[in-house]
Amino acid sequence: MREPADTKVLPSTPVEKLRLYAVFALFSLGFLYVVGGLAYRQLIQSNDLKEQSDNQSRRIVLRPPARGRIYDRNGFVLVDNRARWSVKADLAALQKEIRVEYLRLLAAERARQAVQVDTERVMELARVNVLQGWLNKVWFVIDEDQRKSARKPAPGKATPLDPPGERKVNIEELRKHLRERRALPFTLVADLAFPAANLPAGPDEGVKAVARFIEQFPVEGPIRLESDIIRTYPHGGMAAHVLGYVKDSDELPPNVEDIAEVRSETLQKLRQTGKTGAAGVELSFNHVLKGLSGWELWTKTSSGYNQTRLKYSEPVQGSNIALSLDLRIQRTTERALAEIKDTQGVPLPAAAVMLDVHTGEILALASQPTFDPNRLAGRITAADYDEVEKSGAWLNRATQGLYPPGSTFKIITAMAGMRRKVVDWDDILECGAFYRVGDRDFPEHEPVGYGDVDLDKMLAISCNVWNYQVGLRAGPDALAAEARRFGLDAPLLESSASPDADGPTITELPYPASRGLVVPDRDYKLRIKAGPWQDGDTANFSIGQGYLLTSPLHMAAFAASLARGETRTVPTIIHDPSRDGRHRGSTPIGLNKAQLDAIRGGMVRCVEEGTGRSARIPGLPIAAKTGTSEYFKNREKAHLAWMIGYAPADRPVVAFCVLVEGQLDTNTWGGKTAGPVVKQMLETWAGTGEQPAAEPAR
Amino acid sequence: MDQNRQGARASYVALAVFVAAWILLPSAVRRFNREAFVEFQAPALHLAGKSRDLATFWEKKSRSTEELVAAGRDLARINAALELKLKGLEDIRRENQRLREVTRYNVPAEYLSVVARVATRDSSSWWQRIVIRKGRNDGIRPGAPVVFGDTVVGRVTAVHLTTSEVDLVTSPGFRCTAYLEGDDQSRIVLVNGVAAHSLGTAKARVSVIPYDYLLPAGTPARVTTTGMGGVFPSGLTLGYLDGGAYATQVGNFKESLLVPSRDLYNLQEVSVLVPLIQTPGEALMQGEQFQ
Repeated sequence: MREPADTKVLPSTPVEKLRLYAVFALFSLGFLYVVGGLAYRQLIQSNDLKEQSDNQSRRIVLRPPARGRIYDRNGFVLVDNRARWSVKADLAALQKEIRVEYLRLLAAERARQAVQVDTERVMELARVNVLQGWLNKVWFVIDEDQRKSARKPAPGKATPLDPPGERKVNIEELRKHLRERRALPFTLVADLAFPAANLPAGPDEGVKAVARFIEQFPVEGPIRLESDIIRTYPHGGMAAHVLGYVKDSDELPPNVEDIAEVRSETLQKLRQTGKTGAAGVELSFNHVLKGLSGWELWTKTSSGYNQTRLKYSEPVQGSNIALSLDLRIQRTTERALAEIKDTQGVPLPAAAVMLDVHTGEILALASQPTFDPNRLAGRITAADYDEVEKSGAWLNRATQGLYPPGSTFKIITAMAGMRRKVVDWDDILECGAFYRVGDRDFPEHEPVGYGDVDLDKMLAISCNVWNYQVGLRAGPDALAAEARRFGLDAPLLESSASPDADGPTITELPYPASRGLVVPDRDYKLRIKAGPWQDGDTANFSIGQGYLLTSPLHMAAFAASLARGETRTVPTIIHDPSRDGRHRGSTPIGLNKAQLDAIRGGMVRCVEEGTGRSARIPGLPIAAKTGTSEYFKNREKAHLAWMIGYAPADRPVVAFCVLVEGQLDTNTWGGKTAGPVVKQMLETWAGTGEQPAAEPAR
Repeated sequence: MDQNRQGARASYVALAVFVAAWILLPSAVRRFNREAFVEFQAPALHLAGKSRDLATFWEKKSRSTEELVAAGRDLARINAALELKLKGLEDIRRENQRLREVTRYNVPAEYLSVVARVATRDSSSWWQRIVIRKGRNDGIRPGAPVVFGDTVVGRVTAVHLTTSEVDLVTSPGFRCTAYLEGDDQSRIVLVNGVAAHSLGTAKARVSVIPYDYLLPAGTPARVTTTGMGGVFPSGLTLGYLDGGAYATQVGNFKESLLVPSRDLYNLQEVSVLVPLIQTPGEALMQGEQFQ
């Protein structure tokens, strides 16, 4: 068929031409748009797109670092890290096995003529079955006792019917793992050396379990042995309140932004659970101990599993810390405290502190009851938490405990009296069986009284009536001012770089008792709406009772200040051999030599022949003051036993404070109860041979 | 031309059929074939080993009389020293025996020792595996440790009828626990073979060395088996630490390399310590039922 001769191929009329040009223009514009878009993508956006593409197929895995170790002042390890061997299943390598199991289960479901098969549930069951099979193999190798007593299962039944909890795959954990950390291996046994509550039987059993797995389990395959570092407290509950403990942390480490590959918002970041300080030095010096995280850059498969490691950086361990504690004195202190028990044989709540008089470094700081940080270093179980809570062990009684200091305060009353010149060191006061204040008789603890008492004798026998008289003469304002001069209501354990510095301070132990400290005065009583101040309040105040509340650490610091003839001691938990012995805010004590000698002489007499005889150590002169204060426990009156002081009396090196919380039915008295603890602490200190450079007492 | 094309097509078809058949065959049949191939290979391996022995014999036979006299003299000296050592060991053995009698302690025999000649070195795993001329017929079982004197050579990974394959200490498939000489706390460390670079010297890695471990001065530190894993008897030498131990950045632990104490490339004869009681690891390797 031929075309007619007059068929028009090209437009001939202007309208047609215009229409054609318009179409050309549109096409050209479209083409330009495409070319321009391509050029824009290729030339301008190429870097961004490449990064986006790379990020979609890559991920960063962050590795937590090992924390720094904590030593005592002599280099003994107090907190360490140990290798934790864990058994992990590589889910990517198990995919084929899981698929086979899934198909088997699916066939079984269909054979049961199930109307609607929940494939998600079947897949989960397949995963659990496969992992359980491998977990059984792990236990088969590591648990020698179980294997010896195990019965041969029936053919085809490799899985025990009802394995104990730790031998079962935790479905909840598996779900969480697949949701949050799909790319990482799934943990079958978290700690091979301590795989279950009933294992190991002894320290060697854990090592044997590790060794059995290493030598007997196939090296190749989907089950891996991984080692990481966990926190360990080799001395158990010793110094637990100082050391604290660590807890799991999913937070990104602070140095994460320094890693170039992590800056991108779109890059997936996976992190293994790290540790962060939860209490004690672990918390307050977390920034020093924690170290720097490592990272690994991986490509990932379409299923989300890690494929190839492209780059990596090892984690860097945190810095070590040397505490001022002396392991030997600390151990002795805790053992001595543990020997003080109630009528049921349960150790009484107590606290003890020993300081270096000149530097303020804490040589021992114990609080009873205590807890084992090893049991808390991870996820705290409800049972462990309840046990610590019930025993009252969370409270660090040495720094957080608030108590009336009782007769140990009489030293301050005496100083207030002498500085206000209402009494002097050689004045003799008549002290009967009681002292009448207003319409109330304030008793002496000796039923017939002590007769003529001077300062020296008062400190030796802890006479109440002497203090009632001096306290009332000096007045409550003088008592409060004197207590504040020695920092009884000032925050402690807040150190700065230099004693002269006014810069930021570090709280060395978290949650100190500074908010609850009370040095009462007229304003305070009005503030708490307890009415106007009475003379009876002053009498109570003068013997360390009433509203006065302070902590054992404050009283130990006061004893150290007294030993040096100054007003303030800044205790510290950090060991620094270069400390110069200067204490921020400290001033001379403001007594003449005779007055100071009289106080010191009285304190020596207290140990030699007075209420502190139970602390006496032949050949070691000790200056001390005992106290038995009253407090209310469960709304009933009980006693607190105190003893503060320093040694050697003629050349002070260490100061101490011991406090024991008596129970309603215990016979708790200052010297009698606290004295033996002081004695053991000082014997150990003297036996250590560690004699820091000391100046004679002024 | 057409005939050639048809022939080539037939070859491809045959290859495809063979590959498909191999893939689809049940694993038991494939395993049987593999075993059959190993058994087919075994006489050749035996022959190669024996030929090497014969070559060594003739090489020694061709030595001059002077050389033989000198070697005999050296040997006599070594014998004298060893006899002296043997006497000392005999005294120790008697003392040990006496103490056992006093304490009425019966030590159960734990291993059966099977001496085997080395047939060949398996080139498929970069010379980290040897084949020995003893197999299932001689009572050898997978997982058994292989030693030479008091030195660990490796462990049996596969057992055939008359031959066995042994992964050397330096093989990536080898893993065991060890003690380090000079560590008075006897803490375990991990010894792992490292994949060698082509023909480079094979070594093993010693990891999880405690941070406070110090190398003994003067001599290289011996690395010995712990006996805790239930496979290797305790006190056997695995090798020596290479130079020093280096801290990893992770902290707390150090790593080092292990130099095997025997020249693993020139072993002629080894002993296989077959445990009298089957270990769980062996049961896993054999795929037995377990609980």
